[in-house]
Amino acid sequence: MSALLQIEDVSFSYPGRVVLGGVSFEADTGEFIALMGSNGAGKSTLLDTITGLRQPTSGTIKIDGKPLADWRPNELARRVAHLPQSVRADLPFTVEQLVLMGRYPHGEAWFDSPADVAAATVAMQRTSCWADRSRRVFTLSGGERQRVLLAACLAQNGDVCLMDEPAVFLDIEQQLRCFDLLAEEASHGKLCIAVTHDLNLALSYCSRLLVLAEHKLVVDRSVGEARRASDWLGYFSNRLQLGDTANGKPWVRYR
Amino acid sequence: MTTARDETQKSVVFCLAVFCLAALILPWIGPGSLHVRDTLRFGSLDSYIFLQLRMTRTLLALFAGGALSLAGALFQAMLRDALATPYTLGVSTGASLGAVVMISFGWSVLWGIPATWIGAMVGAGAVLVMVMGVAAKQRRISAFGLLLTGVALNSVCGSLILLLYSLAGVARSFSISRWLIGSVDATSYGSLAVFAVVVIAVSSLVIAQAKNWNLMSVDETWAVSRGVRVRTLLLEGYVSGSVLTAGAIALTGPIGFVGLIVPHMVRGRISSDHRILMPCAFFLGGTLLAVCDALGRVVLAPAEVPAGVILALLGGPYLIWLVRGRL
Repeated sequence: MSALLQIEDVSFSYPGRVVLGGVSFEADTGEFIALMGSNGAGKSTLLDTITGLRQPTSGTIKIDGKPLADWRPNELARRVAHLPQSVRADLPFTVEQLVLMGRYPHGEAWFDSPADVAAATVAMQRTSCWADRSRRVFTLSGGERQRVLLAACLAQNGDVCLMDEPAVFLDIEQQLRCFDLLAEEASHGKLCIAVTHDLNLALSYCSRLLVLAEHKLVVDRSVGEARRASDWLGYFSNRLQLGDTANGKPWVRYR
Repeated sequence: MTTARDETQKSVVFCLAVFCLAALILPWIGPGSLHVRDTLRFGSLDSYIFLQLRMTRTLLALFAGGALSLAGALFQAMLRDALATPYTLGVSTGASLGAVVMISFGWSVLWGIPATWIGAMVGAGAVLVMVMGVAAKQRRISAFGLLLTGVALNSVCGSLILLLYSLAGVARSFSISRWLIGSVDATSYGSLAVFAVVVIAVSSLVIAQAKNWNLMSVDETWAVSRGVRVRTLLLEGYVSGSVLTAGAIALTGPIGFVGLIVPHMVRGRISSDHRILMPCAFFLGGTLLAVCDALGRVVLAPAEVPAGVILALLGGPYLIWLVRGRL
């Protein structure tokens, strides 16, 4: 049986500039993967190609063994939820209207069904934005807005959750709650891939690390393997050192 | 949670009621008072004025205002710009150029149809084809690409209008100015029926996509990852908005601001959800234009103030207030 997500030799380039060059990996249900790399390494582009926002220059992406091009957009949106890196700050919608948009792929009907409303309610409660449900999105702070977008993705209930920097703008407590939520989703059989620059969050919550450098996938290893050999830290900076906290958790320190 | 269904039913029914009331009440408003008994007597002068002049004029204002207001809401969603109007993407200036060409050449009627109608439709169609042609060559069609192409053509058409205006004689220059102000005049029931059918059909298509317009107004990537075929939707929206705008302009001239004021008013007072916003904007936009036309008939009676002037007098201050709020 094929893995839920198969990336086969995927490349993407703009005229005169390569962004991704032959990236391949497979990922399956229950995995929580940290996708990392320095700025411009191609992380967001990789997520965009999996979502169908960008067509790879070459290579194939398959969900459930079926090439992306063979999926109807609505079917694909029911399977793959995507949190973009940013959305407009001046949206006139209320929080509940924006979260309910995550349910649009699930119904052809013009109105939201009771099931849609229930799913959106649960998502808002899980992300602590239920109390703000009647507020307009443009009145929210950056962190509050990020939680609303996360709620919309959770309400979408895809089997594959692609999160482009989900913890950006969040305070420390909310960053931890965000990664708790994603780990919970993975434990319920979802595949979560989160772009992050926070190596400690990645080591603490994720099951696998993918590192992109110079447009290629240079590291693909489990967190356990990553803890045993810290050579991969060199892709981020030569001033990092991997150690353990007092209770045995992995911890990256600055030298 | 209050569901969209509850909100939609209440708000749309209210706005529809306002629209219908406007159709019933506004034809009675004019420089000369109409007597109910005489108006109901078929063949009387009052009956003629009511049915042939004021009713057709009110209905034209209701459908043209509705079309322009809905087109405004549509372009604001497509371009994700609160200041977008039916005039942002060049079609209206193309329509105006077509009408001005007809006036400049002194053609008033062609094949039994007012030449300005034909000119406006041809001008709008030409701009539409050019923008679509450029869009088709783009690697990745985007609202931004449509906007840039539309703005460029807007500028070219605007310059050509000024050129024709400066070359026309005094009488024709006056006719051009009068047409460019925009006004609602009595029309035949046949023309009105054709216009109403087109507006209702296209508006229904636009409103049927309201959920997708919600997604588009957030972000193109947001829409794609929720199952929207953005390229197809943008092209459908552009063609639909252009047909609504060109149809209204052909019959009334380029009436501004209704496509800006009403969607904003609905967004602020009723809902930003396009399932509610779009039908309400249609009904209230039509009502606003019909009210402005009725006001124009009486404020300086027996002279008439074009509805476009009344709307601009209301719309200008509103725009200043809006821009002030955004800074």
